[in-house]
Parts: sequence; structure tokens; C-alpha cells
Amino acid sequence: MNFRNRALGRFLSPILALLTSLTAPLAAADEPAKLRIAVVANSTSGTPVFVGPPQRLASDQEFQQALRQRNVELEWVPVSSAAVATLTNEAFTNRRIDFAFYGDLPSVILNASGIKTRLLVPGNLGTNTYLAVPANSGARSLQDLKGKRIALHRGRPWEVSFAKLLEANGLGFNDFRIINLNPQAGAAALASGGVEGFFTLDDAYVLEERGIAKVIWSSHQAPHDWKMRAELWGSEEFINRYPELTQLLATATVRAMHWISRDENRDEYIRLQARFGLPETVIRRDADANQVTWKDYWAPLFTDSLKKHYEQVAAHAHRNKLIRKSVEAAELFASPGFVNRALQELGLEHYWNTAEAWQ
Amino acid sequence: MAVIGEVLTGPADRPRRSLRLNPAVLAPLVSPLALLAIWYWVASREIFPEQILVPPGVVLEAFRELTESGELQEHLGISLYRLTLGFLIGALSGLIFGVLLALSRQVRDYAGSLFQALRQIPTLALIPMFILFFGIGETLKVVIIVKATFFPVAVAAWDGVKGIPTQYLEVGHLYRLKRRDLWLRLVLPAAVSPLLTGIRIALGRSWLVLVAVELLAADSGIGQMMELARQMMRLDIVMVGVFVTGIIGFALDKGFRLLERLLLRGRIAEKTT
Amino acid sequence: MSGNAPRRPGEAGRLLHLKGWLVPVLLLAVWQYMAGLSQAHAHAFVPLQQVVEAARQLILSGELWLNLLGSLQRTSTGLVIGSLAGLALGILLAFSRIALTLVSPLFHSIRQVPLLGLTPLIALWMGNGEPAKIFLVSLAAFYPLVLNTYEGLRNVDPQYQELGRILGFNRLLLFRRVLLPAALPSIFTGLQQAVPFAWITALGSELLFNAGTGLGSLMMTAEVGARMDIIIVCAVTVTLLGMLMSYLVGALANRVLNRGTVKTG
Repeated sequence: MNFRNRALGRFLSPILALLTSLTAPLAAADEPAKLRIAVVANSTSGTPVFVGPPQRLASDQEFQQALRQRNVELEWVPVSSAAVATLTNEAFTNRRIDFAFYGDLPSVILNASGIKTRLLVPGNLGTNTYLAVPANSGARSLQDLKGKRIALHRGRPWEVSFAKLLEANGLGFNDFRIINLNPQAGAAALASGGVEGFFTLDDAYVLEERGIAKVIWSSHQAPHDWKMRAELWGSEEFINRYPELTQLLATATVRAMHWISRDENRDEYIRLQARFGLPETVIRRDADANQVTWKDYWAPLFTDSLKKHYEQVAAHAHRNKLIRKSVEAAELFASPGFVNRALQELGLEHYWNTAEAWQ
Repeated sequence: MAVIGEVLTGPADRPRRSLRLNPAVLAPLVSPLALLAIWYWVASREIFPEQILVPPGVVLEAFRELTESGELQEHLGISLYRLTLGFLIGALSGLIFGVLLALSRQVRDYAGSLFQALRQIPTLALIPMFILFFGIGETLKVVIIVKATFFPVAVAAWDGVKGIPTQYLEVGHLYRLKRRDLWLRLVLPAAVSPLLTGIRIALGRSWLVLVAVELLAADSGIGQMMELARQMMRLDIVMVGVFVTGIIGFALDKGFRLLERLLLRGRIAEKTT
Repeated sequence: MSGNAPRRPGEAGRLLHLKGWLVPVLLLAVWQYMAGLSQAHAHAFVPLQQVVEAARQLILSGELWLNLLGSLQRTSTGLVIGSLAGLALGILLAFSRIALTLVSPLFHSIRQVPLLGLTPLIALWMGNGEPAKIFLVSLAAFYPLVLNTYEGLRNVDPQYQELGRILGFNRLLLFRRVLLPAALPSIFTGLQQAVPFAWITALGSELLFNAGTGLGSLMMTAEVGARMDIIIVCAVTVTLLGMLMSYLVGALANRVLNRGTVKTG
């Protein structure tokens, strides 16, 4: 009798735990006890290191203080850079997070699937993308890779950049064998000769510095809307329900981007980012290549070109059957009011060139 | 060692007199149908968002779409092709090597320990290594399946042949059976039972490993279909994949059991276990 | 890894048998040669000294231990949960025909789905962290335990059951004193199958979920820079740990079963 009851109990409690974990997300939405933000992080060495503005946000004392006063706990939810898009989207679907700093295409895919998120604060003005080939390859341009295998992680923001490149060369996805590999696997595949090309972010430079690969195309010279974008996204439900908290986060994010955008902080920012895994040299190389000033690069403004960018992303996703229903770009944006109020609160209305910004 | 899993094959397989009555035949269907009904009900009530718990209707629709466009057949075909190729190579070489291990002292001396050591390495642990060696093409998948199949089959063959009572071999020797006859008429049939079990288990493992590899690194195949669907938040396609892989696994397993039963029909008395 | 019993001690003497070392040493020599051929070759055929060096660094920096611990924790938690659940279900199925009729078909159908193929579903339903991975590992341990517990209980020699009845045991006593001990060997067989399977599933979950600490995660990170040396170190560690765990469970089985046999005999 004892044994069976105990066994039964032990059998049931994990089941109960599982059930609770499944239903908990539904319950949590009733109270803003926590502010959960997903962030690209790396934690193989123990303490998580974040990419981009969240790094500043995490050490923003004013922000933490304000949250504490409202009895809101800030929870960072780390996602591995290997699968940011999927993990973040799943976390939004599951209501495990309220906000996320992540990319354009995944957000479109998420919204197309029925989960509503909104762009709260635009991120930096376009991250560069690169096309790499093995170091001993004879390929000099995309045309040379026609019919060959190219590693591209699908559903990630830089896919749109790749699509633009294809379009400009009069080619399509069908002209290549696209292999869906995450950036780590893609790098390994390139190194071992498993693929003839690899399209990714500046981790391509790491391979180049190692002598494993060479970069034959970069988006440095390309128009801005060719580059990938990452922003602060939030669940529509949360934004509508807790506008003050949302504003708090928006202001803190704008503050962070302001700090980063100052020339005197540039070096320190790069140094901090290098802790994430990419060497400083690579980060600098990528940062130096931008056509705009460092300050303008970090302008968190809603503009027409932002909207155009998203229209293109949505169009690409729809055209390539990544999503079933198309998405209206304009619907993806939260009210610019949050950003504008943030600028006001921080006294930054004239810091950036707001001539084209939406009001 | 008792063959696990054969006992729990359900009421329809057990020698019961009530087999002919309708309830006993229908009984196995009760719980799957009940589960299906619960699924349908929970989904229609929208207790969970549609993106998390996909309604059965949507999964069915996705299945229809995938079969119409031929995508499902294509992916499945590729996966099965890889499985078959790798399995044939692995099983055949495993069989030969296992029998050699059992029969030849020399082979045992030279390769026995290495075999035992290599056998312990989990196939999954080798995937990153093999990716670096073989890239991510077909070779990788076939090699992985060969590895997953070779060792269990070799061990099963070794056990099977080892288990043949020495009397059999002595009798064979007495009758001066030729080498070939020794093998075909004596060794193989006696080893068949544990061998088939080993092959069946190896097949199940290989399917598991193949799906894992395809999830990680492939441009085609059922695993890749599921992974891509996951990245595009198409949970309905993922579920189609889950069902299909399950059904294939089930078919492979059942098919082999049937084969075992057919081949062993006359051999129950001769079983050495 | 098939479920053969652990090797007997007498075979350890074979290790010193020179013939057995010939082929491995030859292979290693070929490996070293390939590594020396060219830079590109050194990539895949990493020179052995580099592997040793990588091992040293990983151990010194504590990274190996950290990730090993992560994998072990995952595996043991999953094993405990899965085995206990499997044991419970096995017992239930052995004694309740209704439960058997209802559960058996479901059980078999779900069992056929490759565990790692469930990853996308589980990732969505349970997230990407520990609970999801532990769930997968528990499932891996669950199946063999259910099957072997059931079989063990149903295959108890009827003589024992008769004896128990003669002695006037009620059902509970019969279960505790006769059936369960008689089923223990089978249950331990199940455990011996569950352990390697759980270990491999833990590894697989780390490879596929890419988050957290674990030998699989370490391997994936090593893949970025194509660090074959780290991958080899991890693979060796995984293998050794797997062997160790199988051995320990086997030893445990021997101890428990010896005592068990004395008790009911």
C-alpha cells in the first residue's frame, strides 16, 4: 500500500508540475508582477552577456529603481543566438515573454501566425550582412555560386537581405540549393566544404580572420533597407494593458541608445560587445563600414523608410511562402507616441534629426 | 535475455479466448479515439491558443496540402531512401562482422576490444564530428545510419552465433559439412532469432537518429521539414511530421515483428534462449 | 548501445593483450599522418596533441566540468522522474486489465515517434529550458521501465503466486513479498536500458535545444569555430560517462538482486 501510493504520488506530481507549467502562462497575464524581456545572450561561461542596447538596459539603475517602486520584477529571458527567431517567437506564443529585442522577419512571421506584437522602439539603422565562401574558393560574386549550396538560416532577419541581393542579380531562391543551417552549423559546413557559400552577419569576419573563409559581398555599400533590422518588440496585449510600464521601458531603451550613440562612448560599447564572443576587430570592422554617423546610426525613430523596409520584409515572406496570410506593415507599429514621449522626457527632442520622424 | 516489448502487444495479440468477441477487437481503438476526441474538443473550446494547440482539422488540412503538393512524399521518400541505404550497408556489414567475431579467434583478438570500445560511443555524440568530416550531404546521413546499425546488428549476430550449442557445430563437423553449408544450413538459421531482434532494434534506433540528424543539418527529409515548419511557426506541419514519423516507426517495427514470426514459425522448438 | 550485461572482470585481463591494441594504434597513426598532411586536413583530422591540449584547457578552465555536471543533472533528474513514472504505470498495467486495454495502444503509438522528433512540439509547449529537456529525458527512461516492469510482474512463476496464496497472503502482501521481488530482475533490466537511453536523449536535447550548459551544448559551440579537438574531447567524455553509468547501474543491480534473491528464496 505504501509503495503504491508513494509511487502513484510520484507519478502524479511531475504530471501536475507539467500541467502547471503549461497553464501558468495563461495565468501570468493577469498581473504585471514581472516584466519579461527576451534578449540574445550567450552564457557558456556562466554569466549571461547580452547583445546590443539590452546590455545598457541591464545596468540602468534609474530603470531598475522605477520598476522596483512599482513592485515589478525585471526578468531577462536569454535566447541562444543559434535560434533567436524561433525561440523568441515560441516564447511570445507561449506568453512567456512580454518584450523582445530581435529581428524584422521573425516578427513578421509571428504576426502572420496570429500572435500580435508591436514595434515599440526602432533599433539601430540596419545591421550589415555578408556572403562568405571558403578561403580557397574561386567564386568572386553571387553569380559564381549559381546552382551551388548556400547555408542560410531561414526565418532569420538577414534572409531578406539575401533576397534583395538575389533580386538585384536577377536570381531567385531556386537558382541555388539553400541549406537551412543555424549560424554555428553554417560556419562548420563552410569550413568543412559542406557548402559553397554562407550568408550571415559579421560572424563571417571571424571565419575570415581564421583563414577559413573570405567575404565576397557585404551590405556595406548597399542601400539601408537592404540591411537587417532588430528592434524592441512587445506583445500587443501587454502594451495596451500596461501603457505606463511600456513607456518606462521605451524611455529606458531610448536612454540606452542615446548613451551608445555618443561618440565618447563608442569604444566602450564596442569593448562591452566583444564580450559576447565576436572579437573587437570584427565588431569595429563592421561598425566602421557604416555610411552614416555613429550618432544617426542609433536613432530610434519611426520613419517612412522604416515602414518601407517592413513592407518589403512582409512582401518577401509572403512571396516565398514563409507566411500564409500577408501582413500589413503599418499594423506592426506601436504608436510612435511612446518614443516621442521618451525623447521629451529625456530632453532629446533635438538630439537626432527628427525631420522625417512620425509624430 | 528476454525480448522486451513483445509481451505488451495489446489484448488482440494475447492468446485469449475472448479474441473473437467484438469488444476485444475494438478495445485497442478506444484510447486513441478518446484522445482524438479530447483533442478536438479542447481545441474547439480554444482553451489554448490556436498556435499552441493546433486543432485536428488544421493538421488534417496541412496533411492534405502537403500530399497534394507532393512535398510530404518527397521529404519522406528522401528520408526513407537514406534509412534503407544506410541500414542495408550497416546491417549487412554488421552481420558479417558479428559472425566473424563469433567464429574466428583471430578476429576477436585483433578487433574485439576496439569493437567494444567503439560500440560504446553514442551515435548522437558523433554527429558534430561527422558533420565536420563528411559535411552535411547525403554521405553524412548514410554514415550515421551505418554506425547506428552496424554495432547492434554485429552484437546480435555475435550473440546469436555464440549461442549455438557446440553440439550443433560438432555434428556439422562430423558430417564434414562444407564451409558454406556450415554457414547457410547451420549457423545462420540458429542465429536468426536474436539476430532479427537485434536488427529490429537497430532499425528503430536508426530511424530515431536519422530524424535527429535531419533536424540538425539537412536540406531535405522529414526532420528538416519539421524543423523548417517550426521556424515558420507552422505547428500544423510539425504535427503532420510527428504523426508521419510515428507511423513509419510503427510500421517498421510491426513489419519486422511479422517477419520474425514468419521466419521463426518452425523454430520455436529450436530456440536456444 | 544494446542492453548486454556488463563485461565480467575476467575480460579486463584481455586489455593487456597486445593483439587487441594493434589495430587501434595503427588507426591512430594513420590519423596523425592525415593531420600532418595539410592545414585543411588538420582541420578535420586534428593532431592528437591538440586534442590533449584542448582537454587540458577544458579541464583547467572548469568548462568541461561545468557542462558535464549540467548533462549529469539533466540525466539524473529525468531518470528519476521517468523511471518512477514508468514503474508506476507498469504496475498499473500489470494489475488492471482495463488500464491495459485502454493505455496499451496509446502507449505503443506514442512510443514509435522518435523522441527527438518531438522537439519542435515540446519546445513550443514547454519552452526551451530545463523543463523541456528533462521531460524528453524522462520519456526516454519511461518506456523501458514500463515495458520491463509489466513483463516482470506478469511473468512471475505461478508457483510463487501459489505459495503466497497458500501462506494466506492478501493481495498487498502478495505483491510486496512475492511479485515485486520476483519482478525486480526485469525491472533492473529496464533500468539498465533506461540509463544509456536517457543519457543519449539528454545529449540529443542539448544538441537540439541549444541553450544552457551541457556536453551537447559545448559541442555545438565548438562547431562554430570548427573546433574538432573540443568536439572529440566531448565525445570521449560522453562515451566514458555513459559507460560509467551503465556500469554503476549494473553493479547496483547485482547487489540488490543478490540480496533480493536471498530474501525470497
